[in-house]
Amino acid sequence: ALTLTPAAVLRIKTLLQDKPDMVGLKVGVRQRGCNGLSYTLDYASQKDKLDEEVVQDGVKVFIDKKAQLSLLGTEMDFVESKLSSEFVFNNPNIKGTCGCGESFSM
Amino acid sequence: MAFLLRQVARSGLQRNLILMRHATASTSANPELSVQVSESCLKRLREICVDGSFLRVTVEGGGCSGFQYKFDLDKQLNEDDRQFGEAEAKVVIDTVSLEYCSGATVDYHSELIRAGFRMVANPLAEQGCSCGSSFSIKL
Repeated sequence: ALTLTPAAVLRIKTLLQDKPDMVGLKVGVRQRGCNGLSYTLDYASQKDKLDEEVVQDGVKVFIDKKAQLSLLGTEMDFVESKLSSEFVFNNPNIKGTCGCGESFSM
Repeated sequence: MAFLLRQVARSGLQRNLILMRHATASTSANPELSVQVSESCLKRLREICVDGSFLRVTVEGGGCSGFQYKFDLDKQLNEDDRQFGEAEAKVVIDTVSLEYCSGATVDYHSELIRAGFRMVANPLAEQGCSCGSSFSIKL
Protein backbone atom coordinates (compact mmCIF):
# COMPACT_ATOMS: atom_id res chain seq x y z
CA ALA A 1 0.00 0.00 0.00
CA LEU A 2 2.53 2.58 1.14
CA THR A 3 6.32 2.44 1.03
CA LEU A 4 8.70 4.67 2.95
CA THR A 5 11.99 6.08 1.73
CA PRO A 6 15.00 5.83 4.07
CA ALA A 7 14.72 9.58 4.67
CA ALA A 8 11.11 9.22 5.77
CA VAL A 9 11.96 6.28 8.06
CA LEU A 10 14.75 8.27 9.69
CA ARG A 11 12.54 11.31 10.19
CA ILE A 12 9.74 9.25 11.73
CA LYS A 13 12.18 7.60 14.12
CA THR A 14 13.45 11.03 15.14
CA LEU A 15 9.93 12.34 15.72
CA LEU A 16 8.93 9.34 17.82
CA GLN A 17 12.05 9.48 20.00
CA ASP A 18 10.54 12.35 21.98
CA LYS A 19 7.13 10.68 22.19
CA PRO A 20 7.38 7.41 24.13
CA ASP A 21 3.59 7.16 24.39
CA MET A 22 3.18 7.12 20.62
CA VAL A 23 3.69 3.97 18.59
CA GLY A 24 3.65 5.55 15.15
CA LEU A 25 2.28 8.20 12.85
CA LYS A 26 -1.13 8.26 11.25
CA VAL A 27 -1.81 9.49 7.74
CA GLY A 28 -5.23 10.93 7.03
CA VAL A 29 -6.81 12.93 4.28
CA ARG A 30 -9.01 15.98 4.41
CA GLN A 31 -10.89 18.12 1.99
CA ARG A 32 -9.07 21.36 1.50
CA GLY A 33 -6.78 23.06 -0.91
CA CYS A 34 -7.74 24.01 -4.43
CA ASN A 35 -7.58 20.49 -5.81
CA GLY A 36 -9.85 18.98 -3.23
CA LEU A 37 -7.75 16.71 -1.05
CA SER A 38 -4.80 17.16 1.26
CA TYR A 39 -2.93 14.72 3.49
CA THR A 40 -2.73 15.10 7.24
CA LEU A 41 -0.22 13.58 9.60
CA ASP A 42 -0.57 13.02 13.34
CA TYR A 43 1.03 11.08 16.16
CA ALA A 44 -0.76 7.82 16.89
CA SER A 45 -0.91 6.06 20.26
CA GLN A 46 -2.62 3.00 18.87
CA LYS A 47 -3.97 1.41 15.74
CA ASP A 48 -7.65 2.15 15.25
CA LYS A 49 -9.92 -0.65 14.14
CA LEU A 50 -10.22 0.37 10.50
CA ASP A 51 -6.65 1.63 10.09
CA GLU A 52 -4.28 -0.07 7.75
CA GLU A 53 -0.87 -0.67 9.31
CA VAL A 54 2.43 -0.32 7.48
CA VAL A 55 5.55 -1.53 9.25
CA GLN A 56 8.89 -0.86 7.66
CA ASP A 57 12.41 -0.76 9.09
CA GLY A 58 11.09 -0.63 12.62
CA VAL A 59 8.60 2.21 12.23
CA LYS A 60 4.83 2.07 12.03
CA VAL A 61 2.54 4.20 9.92
CA PHE A 62 -1.21 3.87 10.25
CA ILE A 63 -3.42 4.85 7.37
CA ASP A 64 -6.88 6.17 8.06
CA LYS A 65 -9.68 4.40 6.22
CA LYS A 66 -10.47 7.41 4.06
CA ALA A 67 -6.87 7.77 2.94
CA GLN A 68 -6.21 4.13 2.10
CA LEU A 69 -7.55 4.18 -1.44
CA SER A 70 -5.64 7.27 -2.44
CA LEU A 71 -2.37 5.98 -1.00
CA LEU A 72 -2.23 2.76 -3.03
CA GLY A 73 1.20 2.48 -4.61
CA THR A 74 2.41 5.68 -2.98
CA GLU A 75 5.91 6.37 -1.74
CA MET A 76 6.26 8.54 1.36
CA ASP A 77 9.40 10.62 1.33
CA PHE A 78 10.88 13.33 3.54
CA VAL A 79 12.55 16.30 1.88
CA GLU A 80 14.55 18.81 3.85
CA SER A 81 16.30 22.08 3.09
CA LYS A 82 17.17 25.25 4.97
CA LEU A 83 13.98 26.88 3.79
CA SER A 84 11.55 24.05 4.53
CA SER A 85 11.12 20.41 5.39
CA GLU A 86 8.19 18.18 4.65
CA PHE A 87 6.84 14.73 4.10
CA VAL A 88 6.04 14.24 0.45
CA PHE A 89 3.71 11.62 -0.97
CA ASN A 90 4.75 10.48 -4.44
CA ASN A 91 1.47 9.10 -5.69
CA PRO A 92 1.28 7.62 -9.19
CA ASN A 93 -2.52 7.93 -9.18
CA ILE A 94 -2.70 11.66 -8.72
CA LYS A 95 -4.42 13.37 -11.60
CA GLY A 96 -3.45 16.92 -10.80
CA THR A 97 -2.07 19.08 -8.04
CA CYS A 98 -2.23 22.76 -7.31
CA GLY A 99 0.92 24.74 -7.99
CA CYS A 100 2.51 24.27 -4.59
CA GLY A 101 1.80 20.56 -4.63
CA GLU A 102 -0.04 20.37 -1.35
CA SER A 103 -3.47 19.42 -2.57
CA PHE A 104 -4.36 16.96 -5.27
CA SER A 105 -7.20 15.29 -7.10
CA MET A 106 -7.61 11.72 -8.23
CA MET B 1 10.10 45.94 -14.06
CA ALA B 2 10.31 42.55 -15.78
CA PHE B 3 7.77 41.34 -13.24
CA LEU B 4 5.40 44.17 -14.14
CA LEU B 5 5.83 43.54 -17.84
CA ARG B 6 5.02 39.87 -17.33
CA GLN B 7 1.93 40.82 -15.41
CA VAL B 8 0.74 43.34 -17.97
CA ALA B 9 1.13 40.74 -20.69
CA ARG B 10 -0.88 38.25 -18.67
CA SER B 11 -3.60 40.27 -17.02
CA GLY B 12 -6.82 41.74 -18.28
CA LEU B 13 -7.54 45.43 -18.62
CA GLN B 14 -8.67 45.89 -15.03
CA ARG B 15 -5.48 44.46 -13.66
CA ASN B 16 -3.46 46.50 -16.10
CA LEU B 17 -4.95 49.61 -14.55
CA ILE B 18 -4.19 48.40 -11.04
CA LEU B 19 -0.64 47.51 -11.94
CA MET B 20 -0.07 50.84 -13.60
CA ARG B 21 -1.25 52.57 -10.46
CA HIS B 22 1.12 50.44 -8.42
CA ALA B 23 3.92 51.10 -10.85
CA THR B 24 3.38 54.81 -10.34
CA ALA B 25 3.40 54.37 -6.57
CA SER B 26 6.59 52.34 -6.63
CA THR B 27 8.53 55.09 -8.40
CA SER B 28 7.96 57.28 -5.37
CA ALA B 29 9.20 54.45 -3.09
CA ASN B 30 6.50 54.77 -0.45
CA PRO B 31 8.26 54.54 2.94
CA GLU B 32 5.02 53.48 4.65
CA LEU B 33 5.13 49.98 3.16
CA SER B 34 6.41 47.33 5.54
CA VAL B 35 5.89 43.81 6.83
CA GLN B 36 6.04 42.27 10.28
CA VAL B 37 8.42 39.42 11.04
CA SER B 38 7.22 36.86 13.57
CA GLU B 39 9.37 35.56 16.40
CA SER B 40 9.35 32.03 14.96
CA CYS B 41 10.59 33.43 11.65
CA LEU B 42 13.42 35.32 13.37
CA LYS B 43 14.35 32.22 15.34
CA ARG B 44 14.57 30.11 12.20
CA LEU B 45 16.54 32.79 10.36
CA ARG B 46 19.05 33.04 13.21
CA GLU B 47 19.63 29.31 12.76
CA ILE B 48 20.10 29.24 9.00
CA CYS B 49 21.56 32.67 8.15
CA VAL B 50 24.90 32.10 9.82
CA ASP B 51 26.74 32.64 6.53
CA GLY B 52 25.56 36.20 5.96
CA SER B 53 22.59 35.19 3.85
CA PHE B 54 19.06 36.48 4.32
CA LEU B 55 15.52 35.48 3.45
CA ARG B 56 14.34 36.96 0.18
CA VAL B 57 10.58 37.20 -0.33
CA THR B 58 9.16 37.77 -3.79
CA VAL B 59 5.62 38.06 -5.04
CA GLU B 60 5.20 36.68 -8.53
CA GLY B 61 2.38 35.87 -10.88
CA GLY B 62 1.18 32.31 -10.75
CA GLY B 63 -0.48 29.83 -8.47
CA CYS B 64 -4.17 29.03 -8.59
CA SER B 65 -5.28 32.41 -7.23
CA GLY B 66 -3.17 34.63 -9.45
CA PHE B 67 -0.23 35.65 -7.26
CA GLN B 68 2.09 33.66 -5.08
CA TYR B 69 4.84 34.15 -2.54
CA LYS B 70 8.32 32.84 -3.16
CA PHE B 71 10.95 32.39 -0.45
CA ASP B 72 14.68 32.03 -1.11
CA LEU B 73 17.98 32.50 0.65
CA ASP B 74 20.08 35.24 -0.89
CA LYS B 75 23.24 37.23 -0.19
CA GLN B 76 22.90 39.99 -2.76
CA LEU B 77 21.13 43.21 -1.85
CA ASN B 78 19.69 45.22 -4.73
CA GLU B 79 18.93 48.89 -4.95
CA ASP B 80 15.16 48.48 -4.74
CA ASP B 81 15.25 46.13 -1.73
CA ARG B 82 13.71 46.82 1.67
CA GLN B 83 15.01 45.17 4.83
CA PHE B 84 13.03 43.99 7.83
CA GLY B 85 13.75 41.92 10.92
CA GLU B 86 17.17 41.89 12.57
CA ALA B 87 20.70 42.55 11.34
CA GLU B 88 21.55 38.85 11.40
CA ALA B 89 18.04 37.57 10.69
CA LYS B 90 17.00 39.71 7.76
CA VAL B 91 13.95 39.55 5.58
CA VAL B 92 14.39 41.36 2.28
CA ILE B 93 11.61 42.26 -0.14
CA ASP B 94 11.88 44.28 -3.34
CA THR B 95 9.65 47.34 -3.53
CA VAL B 96 7.44 45.93 -6.27
CA SER B 97 6.70 42.76 -4.30
CA LEU B 98 6.17 44.84 -1.18
CA GLU B 99 3.27 46.60 -2.91
CA TYR B 100 1.41 43.28 -2.84
CA CYS B 101 1.99 42.23 0.76
CA SER B 102 2.50 45.37 2.85
CA GLY B 103 1.03 44.88 6.31
CA ALA B 104 1.42 41.10 6.26
CA THR B 105 3.56 38.99 8.59
CA VAL B 106 6.40 36.73 7.51
CA ASP B 107 6.13 33.58 9.59
CA TYR B 108 7.85 30.23 10.02
CA HIS B 109 5.25 27.56 10.67
CA SER B 110 6.06 24.09 11.91
CA GLU B 111 3.78 21.08 12.06
CA LEU B 112 4.24 17.34 11.74
CA ILE B 113 3.81 17.08 8.00
CA ARG B 114 5.76 20.19 6.99
CA ALA B 115 7.63 23.22 8.21
CA GLY B 116 8.42 26.32 6.23
CA PHE B 117 8.18 30.04 5.73
CA ARG B 118 4.88 31.59 4.84
CA MET B 119 3.12 34.94 4.64
CA VAL B 120 0.16 35.38 6.95
CA ALA B 121 -2.51 38.03 7.46
CA ASN B 122 -1.91 39.88 4.21
CA PRO B 123 -4.46 42.72 4.27
CA LEU B 124 -4.12 43.12 0.51
CA ALA B 125 -5.02 39.50 -0.20
CA GLU B 126 -8.67 38.95 -0.90
CA GLN B 127 -8.58 35.19 -0.91
CA GLY B 128 -6.05 32.44 -1.25
CA CYS B 129 -5.89 28.76 -1.75
CA SER B 130 -6.03 27.13 1.64
CA CYS B 131 -2.40 26.09 1.46
CA GLY B 132 -1.66 29.79 1.80
CA SER B 133 0.84 29.98 -1.03
CA SER B 134 -1.33 31.65 -3.61
CA PHE B 135 -3.60 34.66 -3.29
CA SER B 136 -5.56 37.18 -5.28
CA ILE B 137 -5.52 40.93 -4.83
CA LYS B 138 -8.43 42.95 -3.50
CA LEU B 139 -9.78 45.16 -6.25
